[in-house]
Amino acid sequence: MNAIPTCREVERDLVAVAAGEAGATEARGVERHVAVCRDCRDELERYRVLEGMVTDLRRAPLAEADPTLSRAELEARLADIRSRMVSYGIFPSPLGKILIARSELGVSMVRYIDSEASAKAYLARLAGDEAVEDPAAVEATYRELLDYLNARGTRLSWPLDLRWAQGDFQRRVLAVTAQLPYGAVTSYGGIARRIGAPASVRAVAQALRHNPIPIAIPCHRVIGSGGDLTGYAGTRIGLKERLLSLEGVPVGHRARKIERGHMYILAEGEVEYCVPSCGDISRKPLAEVTLFGSRQHAEAVGLSPCTSCRPDLHPLSA
Amino acid sequence: MVRDMTEDPFETVVAAHHAEIHRYLVRATSRPSEADDLSQETFVRAYKAYRALPPDANVRAWLFAIATNLCRNHFRSEGRRRQAMALAAAGASESGPSWPEGEAIANQTSVRIDRIVTALPFKQRLAFTMRKVHELDYEAIGRSLECSAESARAHVFQALRKIRRELDDLDVVHTERQP
Repeated sequence: MNAIPTCREVERDLVAVAAGEAGATEARGVERHVAVCRDCRDELERYRVLEGMVTDLRRAPLAEADPTLSRAELEARLADIRSRMVSYGIFPSPLGKILIARSELGVSMVRYIDSEASAKAYLARLAGDEAVEDPAAVEATYRELLDYLNARGTRLSWPLDLRWAQGDFQRRVLAVTAQLPYGAVTSYGGIARRIGAPASVRAVAQALRHNPIPIAIPCHRVIGSGGDLTGYAGTRIGLKERLLSLEGVPVGHRARKIERGHMYILAEGEVEYCVPSCGDISRKPLAEVTLFGSRQHAEAVGLSPCTSCRPDLHPLSA
Repeated sequence: MVRDMTEDPFETVVAAHHAEIHRYLVRATSRPSEADDLSQETFVRAYKAYRALPPDANVRAWLFAIATNLCRNHFRSEGRRRQAMALAAAGASESGPSWPEGEAIANQTSVRIDRIVTALPFKQRLAFTMRKVHELDYEAIGRSLECSAESARAHVFQALRKIRRELDDLDVVHTERQP
């Protein structure tokens, strides 16, 4: 038979027994000890009484501890954070790795990336801890983008969140560029004219260079005044060419120029599109026209064939 | 179809746990106004980390850990700690602003215990509150306090022993001795 535990040895177990947390061995030790030790028997009783009082704490009201106001303030803070929060994911695509970010308001970023680490660092600089990696939240957006890039769709009808546009000028440039139809191109000068600042060609080019949502805001449809592709997303001019080819815009591969002679032309302010040989239309500067790679895409935006040159009867050879 | 981000599952988390975390922080800080701030901060932090939380995580225990961590930072400034101690001492002898007498009459023992708890060392106070008021298990308490479950149990034991002694002095725990 084991020796009966001492008062000192049993002290902690007394508390455990009173709380109903003791194991069988501890409980037996306590039982044997209190059978012979009145002080510890009383002590156990006190702990049991205390346990009951402590249990009452769970029900006792806390003075001045109404959480209602704090809860209301919290809800307001969360709503504010939620509106500033962006979820993002990094996905593979036919154009390489792409980062997609969106907020409550809409898609806020599409970015071609080389390294995930530097892309995340960039986003962290831009958004701090309000950017949260959550691929599931942008998965649907990604699927739509994939369909678009795989020619299974011609529209990205996403709500856009221009939080990362810089200033009113860039917002105007982006808004006008977003209106360029699928399969159409114009020049930087053309965008400058449409925002009512025809001299600001370089500023327009600069604004599009920092387009936070390429593809969805189709800056790839904006080219140099001579028809050359100029630049895209840094040094990714090859992507611009692929995006345009996807839309049926003929690009001369060696010179990376749009082949204006192979495109339908819409003059500024007109609702009919022409072949390049119609009147003097081919002499109009690119800034004053919009070019379409195919009749289908011109007519998709409600344009009719010109009644003089009849592109419907004399289509351009593909 | 794009997921509707206005239907935020975190709203359910706030609804289920804010009141309890607030109660915990009132005891942990002994100042309702600080509990207001810290409970908000707890949920703001939780909101930002929520998406990365594994689906099978114990959200309640996780919230207690965040709240406890904020409390620790809050009290890390020794000045604040002393201020709280001084307040608790004042509250023990006269009715302080946090513990008005009207409530004390109805819940005298609870109020006394709360006052004793307020004066306990940080880990004992929080371990006791998490275990005895909120009934968290020792594993969860250990994670909150960054110690083992066994240490958490020891903190609760120390707290109970001190409370028992204080109440004994106040002659609250009274058992008839048989001759």
